[in-house]
Amino acid sequence: MIGIVGAGVVGSRVAETLRLFLHQQIYIYDTEQIVAQRLAGRLSGGKSQFSVVDRNTMKSAKVVVLAGPSPQVSMARELLAAGVCVVSTSDDISDCLNLLALSQLATENNATLIVGAASSPGMSGLLVRHLAESFDSIDEVHVALHGTGGPACARQHHRALSGQSIGWHDGEWLRRPAGSGRELCWFPEPVGAYDCYRGELPDPLLLKRAFPELERVTGRVTATRRDRVFSRVPMMIPPQAEGGMGGLRVEVRGMKSGARLVDVIAVAERVGQVAGVVAATTAQAIYKQDIKDIGAHVLGEKSMPSSLLLTQICSAGINLHSFVRA
Amino acid sequence: MKFIRRVLLAVSVAGAVAGVIRFKGKGVGAIKQGGWRKVTDPKQN
Repeated sequence: MIGIVGAGVVGSRVAETLRLFLHQQIYIYDTEQIVAQRLAGRLSGGKSQFSVVDRNTMKSAKVVVLAGPSPQVSMARELLAAGVCVVSTSDDISDCLNLLALSQLATENNATLIVGAASSPGMSGLLVRHLAESFDSIDEVHVALHGTGGPACARQHHRALSGQSIGWHDGEWLRRPAGSGRELCWFPEPVGAYDCYRGELPDPLLLKRAFPELERVTGRVTATRRDRVFSRVPMMIPPQAEGGMGGLRVEVRGMKSGARLVDVIAVAERVGQVAGVVAATTAQAIYKQDIKDIGAHVLGEKSMPSSLLLTQICSAGINLHSFVRA
Repeated sequence: MKFIRRVLLAVSVAGAVAGVIRFKGKGVGAIKQGGWRKVTDPKQN
């Protein structure tokens, strides 16, 4: 049985995707029980049975998706100690680092921990692995994200523009102020072109872990002037229930047949939808033992069944777009 | 009074310069060489 912690935007999409995969028994837990009950009531029926449970009952699940706001490390530690496999959707740098530090705990308890199984990070790693297979070798990856999922994701996006971005550059980690380094990035329609800036994103950290051969990795987010100006102050207007159409763009550079090549692949979809589908697909893969490795892992690693995951993600309705030159 | 006049002058000069840069600046045009193609089968590269 698979559990979902958090019944917000991402949690709802995880539940919907698991129902699409005809998963039979699904537990839902949220700090606001009424939200969890509403989700269970909306999706129950057919072959899938949704049950609202308390925090302790989650320990009886085989796999749990953490779809609540960051930090997720304390819940992950609790579940891993009970031998439950965990899929984390955290997009906070310190939370991801703390989660990776739980690798030994996961190994001791014979459990799998997937860190950053969302849109960015998560889908970005799978897309890099997909593109990397067509290269002889890759050395640069540049990720750009547009849009936000639920309110917690919007708050994280706000924080990401005010902190310190981290990027891998020729053998060392470079810290630069978030909100700097403007670059115009093109996403598939209907998103189009947006100015992207360095952000405090965990993508470079996790991608470097999955692809140790990389020499340069950067992560950027789209932002307007207003986003950049007000990123230093607390959010004064509460975020919307869900962000609009989002996009994820992954640019990979490397060598193929002796020539330097740049390849771009992207997704244009609501960020919460992508995150939910990626997390649910990963949880399903652990449940079905397509992912057997214990310890902490990130999506895109060589040991992960990236091709299978990507095929299932596409079959769940996420469309990939490849940039082709005229 | 002199200080206010100087501030107003500085603001108007800065505004004029910013306006010239904004409207005379070389904008980035739309990509004319390429586009997006839907990936039908992710197994194929």
